[in-house]
Amino acid sequence: MFNLLAKFLKLLNGDASPGQISLGFAFALFVGLTPFFSLHNLIILFLVCVIRVNLGAFFLGSAVFTLIAFIVDPLMISVGESLLNNPDLTSLWTGLYQSDVWRAFKFNHTLLLGSVVTASVLFIPMVIVSRIIISVYRERLMKWFEKLQISKMIKASKFYKAYEKLGELS
Amino acid sequence: MMKWIRWSGLAGFVVVVGLIAALWLLAIGPLMKMAVEKYGSEAVGAQVNVEEISLGFSPLSLTITGVQVADKDAPMENLVSFDTAVATLEPFPLLLGHIIIPDVKLSGVGIGTTRQYSGALSFDSNEQQVEVEKDKLDEDSATENVTESDSTADSQVLPSADEILNRETLLTSVHGEAFEGAYKLHKKAIDDAISSLPNEQGLKNYEADLNRILKGKFKSVDDFKQRKKEFDALKAQFKKDKQAIADAKMAVKNGKADLEQKWSQLKDAPKQDLTNLKGKYTLDGVGASNLAALLFGEDAGGYAETALSYYEKLRPLLVDDEAKAEKQALLDQRLNGRLVHFKSDNPLPDFWIKTLSFSLTLPEFPQDSGSLGQVIVKVQDITQQQDVINAPIKLWVTGQNLKDISSLAITGVLDHRTSTGSDSFSLDLKQWQLNNLKLGVAGLTLLSSNTNVQGKVVFVDEQMNLVGKGLFNQTKFGSKKTNTFAKEMVAALKSVEQFTVSMSAEGAVTSPSVSLKSDLDNQLKVAFDQRLDEKQAELENKLKEKLNDKLLSYGGKYTEQLKALNLTEGSLKDKGKALEKLGKAKLSSYEDQLKAEAAAKEAELRAKAEAEEQRAKEKLEAEKAKLNAEEERAKAKLEAEKAKAEAKAKAEAEEKRKELERKAKEKLKKIFG
Repeated sequence: MFNLLAKFLKLLNGDASPGQISLGFAFALFVGLTPFFSLHNLIILFLVCVIRVNLGAFFLGSAVFTLIAFIVDPLMISVGESLLNNPDLTSLWTGLYQSDVWRAFKFNHTLLLGSVVTASVLFIPMVIVSRIIISVYRERLMKWFEKLQISKMIKASKFYKAYEKLGELS
Repeated sequence: MMKWIRWSGLAGFVVVVGLIAALWLLAIGPLMKMAVEKYGSEAVGAQVNVEEISLGFSPLSLTITGVQVADKDAPMENLVSFDTAVATLEPFPLLLGHIIIPDVKLSGVGIGTTRQYSGALSFDSNEQQVEVEKDKLDEDSATENVTESDSTADSQVLPSADEILNRETLLTSVHGEAFEGAYKLHKKAIDDAISSLPNEQGLKNYEADLNRILKGKFKSVDDFKQRKKEFDALKAQFKKDKQAIADAKMAVKNGKADLEQKWSQLKDAPKQDLTNLKGKYTLDGVGASNLAALLFGEDAGGYAETALSYYEKLRPLLVDDEAKAEKQALLDQRLNGRLVHFKSDNPLPDFWIKTLSFSLTLPEFPQDSGSLGQVIVKVQDITQQQDVINAPIKLWVTGQNLKDISSLAITGVLDHRTSTGSDSFSLDLKQWQLNNLKLGVAGLTLLSSNTNVQGKVVFVDEQMNLVGKGLFNQTKFGSKKTNTFAKEMVAALKSVEQFTVSMSAEGAVTSPSVSLKSDLDNQLKVAFDQRLDEKQAELENKLKEKLNDKLLSYGGKYTEQLKALNLTEGSLKDKGKALEKLGKAKLSSYEDQLKAEAAAKEAELRAKAEAEEQRAKEKLEAEKAKLNAEEERAKAKLEAEKAKAEAKAKAEAEEKRKELERKAKEKLKKIFG
């Protein structure tokens, strides 16, 4: 937990683009909230590799959202159940079900569909909100925050130093 | 826009994915080999060996070479093996985890081929040892059964009359010995009784003595006393001899009754022995009725057992219990999510071989006659999830280049779309020229037969129901054995030109109740009955001769002795009568003799007086008769005179009446005139 916090501070306090960081968090929604070994995550990884998103934010976000997923999985499942069992959508699902490609994505899995839909719904808000938060933080709160005792403790920790070195290397 | 693209990231992704794909392609063959060997071994309970699995891409296909599936029950044999299997694969379903194989072609398929090394699973060594020991025990038991069966078969060999007499505990011998014992016992009793009897000379002496004692008048009192003493002694001897005769007669009577009863039993014994022996040596109709089962049961049972063992091994692979259980578990674990299925135009099971085809070389039948040819086997829709594709597994086996068989067709439907499941197979074999088929008993061989076989078996919920019928035409039988039974069998079967064998089996697959029937039974029964009558007559005659020889050893003496006893009995009767007569003789006293003389004289006088009286009586009667005659004459004279006077008076009265009538007539004339 302390390690994650150190990474997060380093990321926020760095000179990475807020847009790339927020996009990294947004893509991390998919990898974190949905079952990892799914075909759609291959596409997400491809996009993350090809688009200039902050990889640090992506990996950090994936770890955070994976932890959150343990809590919200029942909610994801219920979302998936309600969608798949919605009579109005049955024709849509039946149509997709006839395609091997779509079935390869396992869209008819309750957890997977629920989490993908949730991640998709949260994607844009995540990009916008996280970008605003990062900008506001850097403009108004970063200096104040760095003066806090806890911030100094984190920066003094070996995890932060190690992470900083890695950042310099990369 | 271009500033958002990370070219290095794209290259990295491509390189990473490419490396993963390359590694997967390199590893997939060995990984699949390992998977097939591991899970295949677990599934069949014995080693599954694969030489190589390789992947092809145009089209996507899998080539498996050198597959051997060991037989769990016989680790040095393969349940099935094949040289090469080429399976095409559908790529997209593979991404979904579905192995869909449109077509599989097998070559070099073999069943029951020998392995180079044991196919037993290594972790199962202890159990294997137990199995081996069990197998050994089973083999021992089987050997015992075979021995027993052989001995049973031996018992089918009809022995000679001498062998039967020596081997069997015959009622003839039992009753013969009983008769002999009784004869000896009674003979001794009769001999003892007869030895105490007087002989003919003795009886003559008795008569002479009696005559001497009774003859002549007593000369004196002393003479009388002497004779009386001798007479009493003789009488006592008569009484003693009489009792001895009665005892002897009783002994003879008892002996005769007992020996006649035993003789009767002895005479009936050969017949009973024949009946018993017929049953024991299965020469009667009851024995013959089981003959078809005896002839064909072992082979039919063996083939059925083999087929059932294959079915038992195959069945667990057909029923996707594990998959169904997993599906149910998935439904129960909603927290992990679940797959929601929709109606599909193209439903996909996890594993599906749409068409499997191969050719198979048929085994030799009968043994050492070469293979029967080849069959083309085609199996359609092999999957454990028949409910997904909504189609059962279908099987077609068609004969090709068959030797001595016109056509062979086997069809099968293995339907497990519902939990109960039903598997059915049918067989249609036409014009099978069977030659030199060794049958199970007496070295019998079905030399030739044109055979048609039809059958159907249905398995439902581990229960089976089989109905099969074989029609054997133009049959010819023979036997290399020269024993009596074999000869008799061949002779009986010579008249059989056609017969049917019907087989049925129902019940649990592991222990079905098997029934084998044939009209051969009836045909054999008729033939056997005829042969039996001849053989029985022959055997009976031989036995009779033997038994008669035996009986003669008793019966000859017995007859003579019975005659002797009858003579003795007659002699004893005569002797008894003679003694009775002698016993009735009395010896009078001297006074009695005098009294008798006086009485005789008195009687003489009385007779004389009676004679005189009779003469006087007769004279008186003569006088009386004379007087009566004179009286009768006087009476007659008087009656004559009286009649004369009456006639005269009657004539006068008539005359008067006539006169009066005349006068009356005249007066009437005058009055009316």
